[in-house]
Amino acid sequence: MDIHTVLKNKFGFDQFRPGQEQVIQDVLEGKDTIAILPTGTGKSLCYQLPGYVLNGSVLVISPLVALMEDQVANMKRYGEKRVIALNSFLNYTEKKQITANLERYKFIFISPEMLLRKSVKNSIERLNLSLIVVDEAHCISQWGFDFRPDYLHIGEFFAYEGRPPVLALTATADKKVIRDIGHYLNLEEPTLHQYPLDRPNISYTIMDLDSETTKTRWIQQRLLETKGPGIIYVASRRRADDLSSLLQEKGLSIAAYHAGKEQEDRAFIQEQFISGEINWICATNAFGMGIHKIDIRQIIHEHIPQSIAGYIQEVGRAGRDGLQSAATLLYSHEDEGRTRFIIQGDIPTEKEIRHYTSLLQKNIPSDEAAEMAKITATGKRIIDYYLERMYLEEVVRRMEKLVQDKEFQLQTILRLIYSTTCIREMILTFFGESSIIKPESCCSVCGTVDDRWLQGPQVTNLAKRPLNWTERLIELLG
Amino acid sequence: MNLSSILLTIINKLDGERTIYAGFHLLRGKRSGQTLQDVEYYGLKPFFGLLPKLRIVTFDEAANRLIELGYIATSDDSLVTVTEKGRLELSILPSYRFYGWDYRGREMIFYGRLTLTVQTMSNIRAGKKSFMPIQKDMNIQTFVKKLLYELPIKNPLFSRQVGEELTIGIIRSEMSDLQKVIFTHRLAGYGLSGWTWDQLAESLKLNPFTIRLMFIESLHMLLTVIESSTDLQLLQKMAADIKVSSYLTESSTKTKRLFDQGMSIEEIATARQLKVSTIEDHFVEMSINNTDFPLQMFVSEEETIAVIAKMNELGTKRLRLLKDEFKSLTYFQLRLILGARTGEGA
Ligand SMILES: Nc1ncnc2c1ncn2[C@@H]1O[C@H](COP(=O)(O)OP(=O)(O)O)[C@@H](O)[C@H]1O
Ligand SMILES: [Zn+2]
Repeated sequence: MDIHTVLKNKFGFDQFRPGQEQVIQDVLEGKDTIAILPTGTGKSLCYQLPGYVLNGSVLVISPLVALMEDQVANMKRYGEKRVIALNSFLNYTEKKQITANLERYKFIFISPEMLLRKSVKNSIERLNLSLIVVDEAHCISQWGFDFRPDYLHIGEFFAYEGRPPVLALTATADKKVIRDIGHYLNLEEPTLHQYPLDRPNISYTIMDLDSETTKTRWIQQRLLETKGPGIIYVASRRRADDLSSLLQEKGLSIAAYHAGKEQEDRAFIQEQFISGEINWICATNAFGMGIHKIDIRQIIHEHIPQSIAGYIQEVGRAGRDGLQSAATLLYSHEDEGRTRFIIQGDIPTEKEIRHYTSLLQKNIPSDEAAEMAKITATGKRIIDYYLERMYLEEVVRRMEKLVQDKEFQLQTILRLIYSTTCIREMILTFFGESSIIKPESCCSVCGTVDDRWLQGPQVTNLAKRPLNWTERLIELLG
Repeated sequence: MNLSSILLTIINKLDGERTIYAGFHLLRGKRSGQTLQDVEYYGLKPFFGLLPKLRIVTFDEAANRLIELGYIATSDDSLVTVTEKGRLELSILPSYRFYGWDYRGREMIFYGRLTLTVQTMSNIRAGKKSFMPIQKDMNIQTFVKKLLYELPIKNPLFSRQVGEELTIGIIRSEMSDLQKVIFTHRLAGYGLSGWTWDQLAESLKLNPFTIRLMFIESLHMLLTVIESSTDLQLLQKMAADIKVSSYLTESSTKTKRLFDQGMSIEEIATARQLKVSTIEDHFVEMSINNTDFPLQMFVSEEETIAVIAKMNELGTKRLRLLKDEFKSLTYFQLRLILGARTGEGA
């Protein structure tokens, strides 16, 4: 069947978006494929469509359970019944029932830790799989900004005889990450599809301000005069709280978001931002994964991000609706040192690692040991993975290498910040793209940023008023 | 209600016989011999484990406030007492309805199950099958899924039934009007997001921490009522395993098992490769928690009566002072007497 017909009949679209057709063709030809497509351009179509053309089931490995549930719900909404999510939320009976009847499903979503369970693995190997998809594939690389060690194991699963082609999907990956994806997933000469990361509707501005006070003043002014919804990314939890309450006092509709907030508060804030109840979020980089909001107009960075890839991921949350949006990065001369300090704080030093392992030997629970050795949660994730696989000395060397690499990434983003050539061009070159068409409103180096559209009435913080408690319960439950 | 006033109440009960950090360990629910003993001797069960994640800086702030206000004073040996001014303040403080000893922070698990259930019902009512769950904790999600699996959630009347049951529970719990508002605004549903602590604080013109404390108290009150309300079936299911069932630490439970098999303290110490003093701590814990603790195996009834009488006469539970009066008794024996015969267990 012609894939254009399938596109029309099954999905109701008249044409492919850039990249989709080429990726799908390679997948249908049975090649291992790495596809880098910007968020919102329709990555899921790249495996859904082949799923209908090929015989057999499609296995989709996805790192975030919330994301997975979301995708499954979406597909169901569009009428696909043969879709299932296999993750640790299922209870024992459900799991057993599902794994016994896996061949019934066309699309099987699975989390990495489930994939490696023996029982699950066995029933999957018995299946007639037409394609294996690795979603958010950049998570496999420790050079990526979102390293998830449990992702590294999934390559082990791919080593069997006669496995179907693998499609690795991600929105952002530089050369190193691409190499890691191919390597850890055991891909065979994968074809690489990389599609314009450029988001012509986003303008880039980078500004040198002399201190935190000046930045605060700038942000305050900006929020009072221009439109949201928007996200302000800051370097620390403390700063997120402080800046947010300061702006709140000015009557702005804003809330702070960071990992130090209680889980429920985070969920409430996210919900309020998506529904438009809150206009701005002042957040650490903990905010953003899995947020579906298409009309974000501004992203403001109040610090130097840790890497270009991370920066692009954060900026890319703006303007998913295709309308004009603005990215602004504010920095001051103190930022470089601060960012370096934060980065290095996450990577355990030799002394910390030795302390940690000696505590483990004394049978101290690993969480406690990490806390006593002053190792962060991210740091623990990383060394736990390596300690399982290699000698202590080697782990230490790995960490030293990691520090160097992070420093390299920092140097790259510093070059972007001090750049005298077009910011857009710099970013795209960094990701290996060569043809660049500059939009009318390009960047602060080009000097073409036109922000007039941004002017306008801002949402002010309407004092929330609580309901009477019985009314509230009735609104919730009827 | 705020942390300082709770702390003032605690210090008052400790009666000038402990340092201020006894209050910290109590609020965090530290399961050490000393803290567990204090809980019993000084009648502090309501406050035990009230704030398992309390940070030392927050605690210090509250303590410093009390000092600045002149409500408490510390002596040279760091013991803390309530001043005359503090006593005056205490007399106008409302009484608390915490049951920390029973819940120890686990009330938040109940709350987690409840919010997720309400969110699910609310979405189903609105015809929404998928939504971002407000609780990310796997155990809570699994629990709620299992719970709802057995119920007629598709029935349009069912969500109202849940609402009614919750309303009855709230009314019976006798939480204050303010607590009712806080409680219901920490629930969320379709098109109705929950309120953060900061948002509640701002609109109710209260300190966020105060609101949190009021919320914890309201959960304790609700849970207590649920326990005795057989007609609140769904809520009873949600409250399953929330109340602490064994008040002994895990280690003490093991010791008790060996003791019940007839082993002596020394034998238990050898068998468990623990110090005798540790095993003795376990026995003190048992004397506090088990009403059928065989005190007479360790000390005679006459001695026990004499110690209690002296304690009342001197108005102190400080071991060193009692030891001076009863040279023939060991500290261990004194602790057992106090454990078995003072506090609520007596
Ligand atoms: N060829 C197409 N034409 C029109 N819309 C498309 C096409 N492909 C995908 N979409 C739509 O684009 C949106 C984003 O797709 P999705 O796969 O969720 O993006 P991604 O995973 O890349 O962020 C979806 O609403 C999808 O229906
Ligand atoms: Zn430019």
